[in-house]
Amino acid sequence: MNDKSTWEFGTRQVVYGAIGAALYGVFSWATNIFPLPAAGNVTFRPAVAVLIFFGAAYGPWVGLLAGFIGNTLGDALSGWGFYWNWSLGNGLMGLVAGLVMSQIKDFRARPDIIKAVVYGVIGIAVGMLFASLTEMFVGGIDINTALVGYFTPAVIGNVVVTVILVPILMIAFAAVASRRGR
Amino acid sequence: MLVTWKYRPRNTFIQSLDPRTRLLFMLCIIFALTIPEIWDLRIIFPLFIVSLTLYLLARIEWKDVKRAWLFIGILVFFIVGLNGLLSGRGGPSSVTNLPSPLLFTVPIKIPFTEIGWDVPITVSKVWFAINQITRMLTMAILAIPIPYTMDPNIYGTAFKRMGASDNISFTMDLAFRFLPTFARDFTITLDAQRARGYEMDNLKGGLVARIQRLAPLVIPVVMQSTVTGEEVIDAMDLRAFGTAPRTWLKELKYRKRDYFILGLGLVIFITCCVLKWGFGIGEFAVPDAFAQFLVG
Repeated sequence: MNDKSTWEFGTRQVVYGAIGAALYGVFSWATNIFPLPAAGNVTFRPAVAVLIFFGAAYGPWVGLLAGFIGNTLGDALSGWGFYWNWSLGNGLMGLVAGLVMSQIKDFRARPDIIKAVVYGVIGIAVGMLFASLTEMFVGGIDINTALVGYFTPAVIGNVVVTVILVPILMIAFAAVASRRGR
Repeated sequence: MLVTWKYRPRNTFIQSLDPRTRLLFMLCIIFALTIPEIWDLRIIFPLFIVSLTLYLLARIEWKDVKRAWLFIGILVFFIVGLNGLLSGRGGPSSVTNLPSPLLFTVPIKIPFTEIGWDVPITVSKVWFAINQITRMLTMAILAIPIPYTMDPNIYGTAFKRMGASDNISFTMDLAFRFLPTFARDFTITLDAQRARGYEMDNLKGGLVARIQRLAPLVIPVVMQSTVTGEEVIDAMDLRAFGTAPRTWLKELKYRKRDYFILGLGLVIFITCCVLKWGFGIGEFAVPDAFAQFLVG
């Protein structure tokens, strides 16, 4: 199913990095049009589950590229410009989630699914912490605002989506992969 | 529902620039403000004028960008408001440590509880908000025109010519090419699910149920894309991708105007660094005239 060399960066990573980025961009844009109801500043971005899944399935390079380019595409599609620190934060989110790739043997197995979700949650925490803290230099916010106003809502929203959708994506992927024999 | 790039060819000065020039100039401005941490409006405001001039030179119609401006307006309002609410006075430590006359307090109360507090609005807080808004807009208005004025087909080439590897540049290029395809797949899936009674606009149930109900939309598109990916990998492998440096169809050339803009960006960046680290100019400080104006 996967080449288990975690840090390999070849044709497979280029293609799936691009596919992950395009999907992340499309779903981010689509959920901008159909926002999920949420409280206060908490936003739910189902696209994050796709990013975490691509990291877990294809490795850290794919996660990094899909997150960085995908977030840039989503913002560009919505016409919002370029926020380099949030794009990089999304890239880190995918990269950390991708570190689990070599440990996943069966995308249907509960322990492997739990591992992928746990790495995804760590990735979300790392990526959003980076983006929130760099906002202190970019936007001039203080640490309280960074943690309470940005980091906490972003992590809550992304974790909820990841916990729910990543297992579904992994099980569906196992079926497709076994059918194709790759 | 179609994904359409906001890009449209226009006969403007901005579009006559090399895409690398525009990306590098934007980075120069962002780094000039963030690396030496410039919080002095005497420096920020001239940079804002430069950014605004370039934005206006892009000649983008208001109807195209009004949504982007609404988003930025909310973002700025949210950041400034929340910052004032949660912090002592503002962002950088120089602001927090600055003694400043109190103007008024804003009482905040959590509905249906007795919990509440008074948020002090001081002179330095107001001046900081003005600085913060100007500084954020200086960076944002350079980024807003990019999707509207830069050909999506040129990003891969631009990154390659800026020194990125073939792999990175190709990923960028492929992502832009895949995007309309997946958006079309998404639309087809949405229509197919709607034909089966799926209601995207009216998701019912609790939060978990609502997110779960997105699966019939997300799964088919993602799984189809993984199948497509294998076919693209085969095609690229057959063309020996990754065995030698690639050639790129589109050529980019710097012209005199590009060198001028790049030089300007470099001068701005160096000047901000020298002013801050060489002369100590660029720290946050409330002008006496502003304080007197507010306090009387």
